[in-house]
Amino acid sequence: MARILVLGYGNPMRSDDGLGWQIAVELFRTNHSPDVEVLPCHQLTPELAPTVSRADVVIFVDCEQGGTPGEICCREVRCEATPLSFTHHLTPGALMALSSELFGACPRAWLLSMQGQEYSAGDSFSPAVAAHICDLRARLQRLIQEGQGSTSVAC
Amino acid sequence: MPDAAHKTILIDPVTRIEGHAKITLHLDDHGRVEDARFHVTQFRGFEKFCEGRPFSEMPALMARICGICPVSHLMASAKACDALLAVRIPPTADKLRRIFGLAQVVQSHALSFFYLSSPDLLLGMDADPASSNIFGVYEKKPEVARDGIRLRQFGQQIIERLGGKRIHPAWVVPGGVSEPLTELNRDAILSAIPEALAIAERTLEWFKGITEGFREEIASFGNFPTLFMGIVKKDGGLTFYDGGIRIVNSAGDVIANGLDPAEYQEYIGEKNETWTYLKSPYYMPKGYPDGIYRVGPLARMNVADRCGTPRADQELAEFHELQRTAVLSSFHYHHARLIEILYCVERMEQLLTDPEILSKHVRAVAGPNREEGVGCCEAPRGTLMHHYKIDEQGLIRWANMIIATGHNNMAMNRGILQVAKHFVRGERLTPGMLNRVEALIRAYDPCLSCSTHAFGEMPLVAELYNSSGELLDHARKPG
Repeated sequence: MARILVLGYGNPMRSDDGLGWQIAVELFRTNHSPDVEVLPCHQLTPELAPTVSRADVVIFVDCEQGGTPGEICCREVRCEATPLSFTHHLTPGALMALSSELFGACPRAWLLSMQGQEYSAGDSFSPAVAAHICDLRARLQRLIQEGQGSTSVAC
Repeated sequence: MPDAAHKTILIDPVTRIEGHAKITLHLDDHGRVEDARFHVTQFRGFEKFCEGRPFSEMPALMARICGICPVSHLMASAKACDALLAVRIPPTADKLRRIFGLAQVVQSHALSFFYLSSPDLLLGMDADPASSNIFGVYEKKPEVARDGIRLRQFGQQIIERLGGKRIHPAWVVPGGVSEPLTELNRDAILSAIPEALAIAERTLEWFKGITEGFREEIASFGNFPTLFMGIVKKDGGLTFYDGGIRIVNSAGDVIANGLDPAEYQEYIGEKNETWTYLKSPYYMPKGYPDGIYRVGPLARMNVADRCGTPRADQELAEFHELQRTAVLSSFHYHHARLIEILYCVERMEQLLTDPEILSKHVRAVAGPNREEGVGCCEAPRGTLMHHYKIDEQGLIRWANMIIATGHNNMAMNRGILQVAKHFVRGERLTPGMLNRVEALIRAYDPCLSCSTHAFGEMPLVAELYNSSGELLDHARKPG
């Protein structure tokens, strides 16, 4: 069975930004599959690269800005060495690039995201995000199941 | 004091440091740098908003000061609370706290050296800013990037194994630690030590081999006489957890030894300046500003007689050979940092193989027995002090903290002036000039608290004005 890594990230003290983190925390508590590793984190950092390199499929869960609040999107992540000078946090593509270049493996990866609305200090989600959070959980479960069966995932 | 008739260069914000700051360079009428200031533009107010909170909350609350070195704040705060309880913590708790602190130093030093400073060392000070990052490092020398990631992961995983999570763990509590170490976790940490040791050793060798190419930087990067301060064991050995304060002068002579950190107000003054939120501590017997001193890796290597572990002792002896006096150039902070990583890994192995380390007695329980307590330890960036006063109900009524970056504030300002005088010429700023000024600051690895989550870019902006206030030049480096 394929090894799945779920990386949910964001700041739980910044309203919708904490969505990915929250989803990962919930999954961490309920997950019983030894083939699914779940890591809630605040940011994507270079130290995650060795862990990423050991997975067959990586699913990033995040909250994004710019679209219709509550809209869910899933897209494949490609390796990209994004120019950046502040190296505490990375994009999913940059993390995949580090995994590939330094640890010799670039598993298939997807970014599952929801468009957020509220990013000020707070520990609750905006109504738009709260209204679609169940859909996001269900979509994540489907991705995990499909990923476990094969590395061909229908986003 | 610069006035409006002179030109000013503004570097805002400074990049690849922990937090937010800007630099202003003041030029005279001939276009030469005559003054420099490092402005810390964040205000966070931890000392005020903790007033009224139960003292037992302080460790967890104070850990939020920083997302990079929460363990150090946790430690200093818990030690201040130990003093309020008037307890002696169990020996195993003492050892576990030490391991926790050493792991923190490894991960923080790895971040500073490999992520933030190695681009300057590997790609050069004049490199394209767009490539001065971990990706530029892996393109040039992938093994360095890989080692940096592995080493930081090593430190973080120890923190996670002991504290339950890698950022803001609340495992260190007043009176000791909340949970003992399991055999499984001890063995897992021990199994990772050989790789960490190998990384520390080969990085030191690599660094020592390239320093010859940085002669100009060594000569001009904060290379001036100051005092150096740090805590040392009774025998003068390196320690990060407890000991007496030792101060050496630039000649390398010990001018104060065994000072009680709890009485810091007797010998450290704190000056406030109007242009920065960062306090400027100074050694009171020398007055302000002559009481300028440095803390952190360079200072610790200057104040310690020995490390107390075999490989680090060899490296320290070699380090002391760099200069007959104290080692003065702030460029050598990098070298000192690498020796400390080596020491930390060696010392962790010693502590983890101690027969007592799995003992279940890890916490002393008591109520508050004193109204005032001071906790002091060596954080990655230098000496860290937490000082609390409580009322009869155990609520905080006053708090004061002196953080490593504060101790170094005066030295950073003087260092920026020195490097700017050497490298900044004329009315135009080149990326190389800007980066050298920033690189000097990065050598100190200042932590201006990065726990505030920021959205958006962190660009570097430099502006040059003429004597009429007209903008002459404008440079922007993407974040």
